[in-house]
Amino acid sequence: MSRSLTRCARLGALALAAALLAALPARAEVRPFVAGSLAAIEAGRSGKPFIAAFWSADCTHCPGELKALGELSRRYPALDIVLIATDSPAAAPLLARLAESYGLGRQEQWVFADQQSERLRFEIDRRWYGELPRSYFYDRQHRRQGRSGIVPAGQLETWAAEHVK
Amino acid sequence: MVRHVHSLLLALLLASAAMANEHAGHGGPAKGDYAKVWLEKQQKAPRLAVAAAFDEAGRLWLARVIGEQLWVSRSDDAGQSFSPAVAVNRKNELISADGEARPQIAVVGRRVYVSWTQALPQPFAGHIRFAVSEDGGQSFAEPLTVNDDTKPITHRFNAMLADAAGVTLAWIDKRDGAGNPAYTGAAIYTARSTDGGRSFAANRKLADHSCECCRIGLAADGDGTPLVFWRHVFGANVRDFALARLGQPLRRVSEDGWEIDACPHHGGAIAVDAKGGRHLAWFTGAEKSPGLHYRRLDGELMTPPLPFGNLDAQAGHPAIVADGSRIHLVWREFDGRHTQIRAMTSADRGERWSAPATLAQTAGAADDPLLLRGPDAVWLVWNTAADGLQRQRLQP
Repeated sequence: MSRSLTRCARLGALALAAALLAALPARAEVRPFVAGSLAAIEAGRSGKPFIAAFWSADCTHCPGELKALGELSRRYPALDIVLIATDSPAAAPLLARLAESYGLGRQEQWVFADQQSERLRFEIDRRWYGELPRSYFYDRQHRRQGRSGIVPAGQLETWAAEHVK
Repeated sequence: MVRHVHSLLLALLLASAAMANEHAGHGGPAKGDYAKVWLEKQQKAPRLAVAAAFDEAGRLWLARVIGEQLWVSRSDDAGQSFSPAVAVNRKNELISADGEARPQIAVVGRRVYVSWTQALPQPFAGHIRFAVSEDGGQSFAEPLTVNDDTKPITHRFNAMLADAAGVTLAWIDKRDGAGNPAYTGAAIYTARSTDGGRSFAANRKLADHSCECCRIGLAADGDGTPLVFWRHVFGANVRDFALARLGQPLRRVSEDGWEIDACPHHGGAIAVDAKGGRHLAWFTGAEKSPGLHYRRLDGELMTPPLPFGNLDAQAGHPAIVADGSRIHLVWREFDGRHTQIRAMTSADRGERWSAPATLAQTAGAADDPLLLRGPDAVWLVWNTAADGLQRQRLQP
């Protein structure tokens, strides 16, 4: 009796846990982006193409870009996008919610955690002046192409069709 | 196993409670979240951007934001020591003082003029504010809101020019695009006071379709008329530079072809020499010719753009001053550890230039450089987080 109750409780707990897991977004964590973070992002994706998308919650043109990326990831479920916000760690919960609202809640997220953003930009790309949105398209060999501003939907589609299998 | 399930369950319950809490009251998250991040950024901004100017007697005036007030002080020894600061706005307000959004100061006789942008809680919204002291900076009149459209939208990036004839303010204004998504960019609006800053005439639109978030360059033409230099949106989306005399049509003065759906946050600088030549310095991200450029305009003639600055050191945010036929140009670079102020000089109206030299550097966060005309020389004034207010007399 007690044995079956335990078992029953165990099954119930598992079912509840599964339900809760399904209800939670896959990735709500927004990691602090510091010196060395880009190298870590790249190293974790050796041999794999991905898009590193720099954005900010107060950039006029970023919602357009993020919506397009969200749409692209819906059509290419294997597409790997790394979102890096240039805001501050205090904004992390809001950033996570915004990303989710663009359909990017499952993608890896980071936020700048350095008072001096030029130090981070120097490491990311010496020729990036901070304009947003800024996207880097990494191919399999991690040769990358940087692009400022909203990337036309056709170009996103072409890149995904070629690189995301 | 049971214990494991229980701890997993507990963790999940806690996590979901936290998530639910975080989501509370957010039907449509995006808009409210944007406003929150905007406001928080305005509140926590480092406010390193200062304004400085020499008066006719060679005293250096400084306006800086501390907390939610603008403070003005004066130095009789070119910045070695400053008088106790006087608060301009007695009632606190959020003041933009970061990067391209900066307070301004001008001194004409006993009158001290200051202007700034008040940041509103709504994203990208602000008011153009102005105050005058008629007693040599001892006290300031109640600040005015200069933009006569007072909706909570963009009226930001105030620029100011003053002389004995009056005060001109120029700013970026989104009133024409409000409720009209087809409207490209923003507009340049101006207002002028001819009663010593007690009141301003009606706002006037100088040009439609400016870029939204780059500081405006202002300089007095030979007859005192303000010249306005700003990043414009040409055609559908080409963000190159325009120049206009107040009240006249704009002229395109850069052909970089920087087509971009983004906010570069990178305005230009203008100076006028004794012969009426316009000296322009600006930044472009255009792929064919990225980086900083300089050119001179003599009437209809434009010299070819001269690239300067180290592209691999984020060279940007130039300032320029004309002193007779001598032109001084400074800008900032970052070498991986230090932010540096680099400088070059031309003795012949921008035909030939000295090799770039480093004037100053700091290890922490820093404002953009200011170049000021003093009574005896041109000065660099540069605010830094770690090393305070740097100032340096440039070699004549």
